Amino acid sequence: MPNTESSVPEQEKLNERLEQANRQLLQSEKMAAIGQLAAGVAHEINNPVGYVYSNLQSLESYLSDLFRLTDAVDSAASIDDLRAIKQNIDYDFLREDLNDLLAESREGIERVKTIISAMKDFSHIEEEEFKPADLHRGIETTLNLVNNELKYKAEITKEFTDIPQVECIISQINQVVMNLLINAAHAIDNFGRITIRTCHQQDKVIIEVEDTGKGITQDNLNRIFEPFFTTKPIGKGTGLGLSLSFNIIEKHNGHIEVNSVPGEGTCFRITLPASQPPGKTDSKTDHGRI
Amino acid sequence: MIKIQLVDDEPNILSALKRLLRPQGWDVHTYETVESALQGLLEHDYAVIVSDYQMPTADGVTYLQFAKQRQPDAMRLVLSAYGDRNSMIKAINQAEVYRYLSKPWDEYEVVAAIKSAIDLYELKTENRRLIAEIQAQRQMLWAREQELLRLESENPGITRVKRDTDGSVLISDQ
Repeated sequence: MPNTESSVPEQEKLNERLEQANRQLLQSEKMAAIGQLAAGVAHEINNPVGYVYSNLQSLESYLSDLFRLTDAVDSAASIDDLRAIKQNIDYDFLREDLNDLLAESREGIERVKTIISAMKDFSHIEEEEFKPADLHRGIETTLNLVNNELKYKAEITKEFTDIPQVECIISQINQVVMNLLINAAHAIDNFGRITIRTCHQQDKVIIEVEDTGKGITQDNLNRIFEPFFTTKPIGKGTGLGLSLSFNIIEKHNGHIEVNSVPGEGTCFRITLPASQPPGKTDSKTDHGRI
Repeated sequence: MIKIQLVDDEPNILSALKRLLRPQGWDVHTYETVESALQGLLEHDYAVIVSDYQMPTADGVTYLQFAKQRQPDAMRLVLSAYGDRNSMIKAINQAEVYRYLSKPWDEYEVVAAIKSAIDLYELKTENRRLIAEIQAQRQMLWAREQELLRLESENPGITRVKRDTDGSVLISDQ
C-alpha cells in the first residue's frame, strides 16, 4: 500500500481522539445515571433529614421543660413544689424518650452520611487506575445509592461468599453493578426479588445479578449490548448502560453473560480475573477500548 | 377523643411525628404497613389520616383512596419526601387530600394542618348530626300533622275547638 507510511501518525491521532471521545462518553453516562438517581437520592435523604429535623424541634421543647425544673431548684419554696413540676412535665417519659430521640436522630444522620459518601465514591473521576479492591464494599456502596430505586420494587437478597480482592477500577465496576441493579428494578412490574451473588472459581471472581422481572425476548437479547438500544420509555434510559458495561468488563479482561427467560426473570453474570495480566493495567492506553 | 392515624414505612418518622403531636393530647395511632393501617380503619374512627406517599406494596394515594371509602369523614393528608407534580396531582384528584405536606417538615406546619383538618372534621360530623336531628324533628312534625288531619276528617271541627282562658270549651250556637 502506497500511503502506509504517511497514515501511521494520522491513525494514531485518530485513535487518540477516539479514546478521548470514549472517555467523555463514559463520564457523561455516569453523570446521566446520577442525574436519573437524583430524585430518588433526594427522597432517600429527605426521609432521615425529616425526622432528625423534627426530633430537634421536639428536643427543644423537652429541654425547655427540663430547664423549667432545674430553674425551679433556686426559686421553689419546698421540695414538694419541685416534685409537682417534675410530675407536671412528665419527667419519666422525657427521660425515657430522650434516649430514643437521640438514638434515632443519630441513625438518621448516619444514613445521610452513607448516602453522601456513596455518591462521592460513585462519581469519582480521578480514580482511573487498576487497584486491588473489595467488590463487596463496592456493591454495598452501590446499593446505598440505588436503594430508593429498588426498595419499592424488590426484596434484595445478598448471597456473598468469600472472594479475594479484585484488581480493577472499582468506580467502573460499581457503575456496571448499578446499571444491572437499575435494569433489574425496571424489569419488575410489581414487586419481585433481586439477588446479588458473588463467588470465585480459581482466579476468577463472579458477580451475578438476578431478578424476577419480565425477562428479555430472544430478539432483544441479541441487541441489549448495542449502544443506544433501549426498551425503556424516553427519559428512563439512555440506551448506553449495558453497552458501556460490556466495554468496561471487556477492558477488565472479563466477560458479561446474560441468561433470560421471558416471564420469569433475567440473570446477568460478570466474570472478572482477580488480577490483570501483566502489561494490561496501564490505564492510559486501555481507555481506547471503552 | 380525637384519633389520628399515621402511616409511614419508616418507624423513625412515626416516632418523630408522635413526639411532635404528643403535647396536643390527641390519640395518635401509628402504622408501618398499609395492611395494618387498613386493619386499623376497621377498629377505630379517625378524624385525620396522615400517610407517606412512597411505601412498599401500595403507595399513599392508593391507601388514602381506600381510607376514603371506609371512612369518608376522616380528613386525608399526605406527608411525602417526593413532591413531584405527578404525585401531587394524583393525591389531589384521586385521594382528594386536604393537605400535601413535604419532608422535612416544620413542627408548626404539621400541627397547624392537622388542627385545621380536625376543625373541618368536627364541622362535618356536627353537620351530619344536625341534619339527622332536623330530619328526626321533621318526621315527628309530619306524624303530628297526619294525626291532626285524621282527627279532623273523622270529627270535622275537632281541631278548631275554641276554648276560653281557663281552658273550658266554648260552645256557640250558630
